[in-house]
Amino acid sequence: MLKKLYHQFASPKTYVVLVDKIYPIIFYTSLITYVFALIWGLAFAPSDYMQGNSYRIIYMHVPASFLSESLYIAMAIAAAIFLIWKVKLAAYIIKAIAPIGALVAFLALVSGSIWGIPTWGTWWQWDARVTSTLILFIMYLGLISLHSSFTNYEKADKFISVLVLIGSVNIPIIKKSVDWWNTLHQPASITLTDKPSIDPSMLYPLFLSMLGFSGLIICLVILSSKVQIFNREGNKTWVKYHV
Amino acid sequence: MLSNPLLEARNLSFSINQNKLFHGLSFELLYGEALHIKGGNGSGKTTLLKILLGITSPRKGHIKWVDNTNTVYLGHKNVLKDYLSVEDNLYLHGINSAKTSTKSILKELNLLNKIDVLVGNLSYGQKKKLALVRVLLNQSEVIVLDEPCVGLDDKTRAYIVDFLNAELSKNKSVIYTSHIPIEINSKKINIDKE
Amino acid sequence: MTDLLKIESFKLRKKLRAWLGPILIFLLIMISFPLTVELASDELKNVFYSILWLSSLLTVMVSLDSIFLEDFDDGTLEHYLILNNSLFSMILIKIFIYWLLIGIPISILGTFFSISTSGDFSSFYIAFPSMLISSYIFINLFALGNSLSLNKGSALGALITMPLLFPVLILLGKIVLNANFGFEISNLLLLMLGVLLIIIVIIPFIISFVVKTHLE
Repeated sequence: MLKKLYHQFASPKTYVVLVDKIYPIIFYTSLITYVFALIWGLAFAPSDYMQGNSYRIIYMHVPASFLSESLYIAMAIAAAIFLIWKVKLAAYIIKAIAPIGALVAFLALVSGSIWGIPTWGTWWQWDARVTSTLILFIMYLGLISLHSSFTNYEKADKFISVLVLIGSVNIPIIKKSVDWWNTLHQPASITLTDKPSIDPSMLYPLFLSMLGFSGLIICLVILSSKVQIFNREGNKTWVKYHV
Repeated sequence: MLSNPLLEARNLSFSINQNKLFHGLSFELLYGEALHIKGGNGSGKTTLLKILLGITSPRKGHIKWVDNTNTVYLGHKNVLKDYLSVEDNLYLHGINSAKTSTKSILKELNLLNKIDVLVGNLSYGQKKKLALVRVLLNQSEVIVLDEPCVGLDDKTRAYIVDFLNAELSKNKSVIYTSHIPIEINSKKINIDKE
Repeated sequence: MTDLLKIESFKLRKKLRAWLGPILIFLLIMISFPLTVELASDELKNVFYSILWLSSLLTVMVSLDSIFLEDFDDGTLEHYLILNNSLFSMILIKIFIYWLLIGIPISILGTFFSISTSGDFSSFYIAFPSMLISSYIFINLFALGNSLSLNKGSALGALITMPLLFPVLILLGKIVLNANFGFEISNLLLLMLGVLLIIIVIIPFIISFVVKTHLE
């Protein structure tokens, strides 16, 4: 019973069918949410008393920073699933996430340095969180290079999973240790444990923008994972039928 | 005991990316028997050998060896270091080149006068012969050879065939692939796709 | 185990360029730094340790680029796996031998440089233990990165290893910072030793999984 259930959910076919059903729902709700949050945040939320209007880039910067890390966590979970239970779908998802993770980390860096010009007076600082995001960005690119170096995809899947897992142990260590050096970055605005240090009038649109942005990125991951599946399982009859 | 098969392979399948190499392969190997794996280029002969050696796992099916079987394998790679002399290379394999048994084999293969030569300076055939010394001196129950005769002269080939026949008569088993015919009495399996 | 030690050190010792080469490269880098920046000797002291850590990192990077490649290409790894069913001890010892023949010599040389630059023998206590431990960590991590990239070039190996090294570099930076302020550094050295003790077993284990996958 359990085995059957596991086989069903782990099969790329079920995944594609399921994802095709929920994709439009996720896409439209998150698009509407993000646009709504942007209008709220850009036009209606008050300006910051110290940073003026420039802070408004957070509606893009914060979701991007948040996702650059959460996508890595998602990859780490997929990597563990792949190495322990040998679920191929998990490997396809890692491969699908890596370029999107790189993109999001890049967005976080670019939006951060644009924000840095008016607030810190410089577009680049060797600040702890900036540095660790840059390292994260390079790690994503490293994963992509590693996978693309091998012609045997089954081997490449294992290598990339090992590297993702090692990275997932290392990233918190990198963050902590980079934090050791004096940091310029403002402390995180929202954490799970503490009361947010940001005013509710800015927090709600920020929260909505994170939801919307995440939803859109998830849609991107879904599309990219479907490309992976069709590439890798292209000769199976269900794929021919499906496409 | 001897009536039990030394090796049982059931329903082996293998594929790389989406390309199936072989499918549903079953066979067994008895003590004192030779198995010749046949197939065209790219049919998966080397992969099958690696599965039998336990380096690669099959996509489907399973293999079962009798417990504690010792195996010696010589594949396309010679396990020789170019920057070491013949003597040092033998030392890495735990072979003492001063021993008379080693010396007689080296003499038979025309390698005795090359003992101080760096392996990088040997010819392809000489390297192959040196790699075979390890197999010839080995006491394992199973000898696995991947294209053992490529690049060897007639005399050496005859020597190898004699050696293998002698081992078979001692109830040892041989598994090999070869495009060059080897005159030993062996069971054949063909892994080419139909 | 002693057989393995003998064989692995024999292989590395006989290949002069693989162990003496990196040590000489370390010397060259250390010599070239004062030539490329115009610094009063006081200022050189400030950046000296940064140079030292980076040279040892680069040396390890260069020396480990083919740590498994040769044994992979000539079939030694495959041969060993068939004989012993496991690569763990071979990899553990290989890494140890590299540290013995490359890590320790560059630690000694680096210590000499630090004493001569600072003109103070007490810098021995900063440079020697931290180089000894950090070079072993570097060797482990580069071995891991190069096992992943194996026959795909050392640039890929370096690309995926470097991010893993940042915490170690920061720790080394902290050690020097604390020493400059006259604070205790033994706790930081112990922390680094602790890290080493953890990865010294885990990394060969991961590498043997990776190498086995390569051999498939």
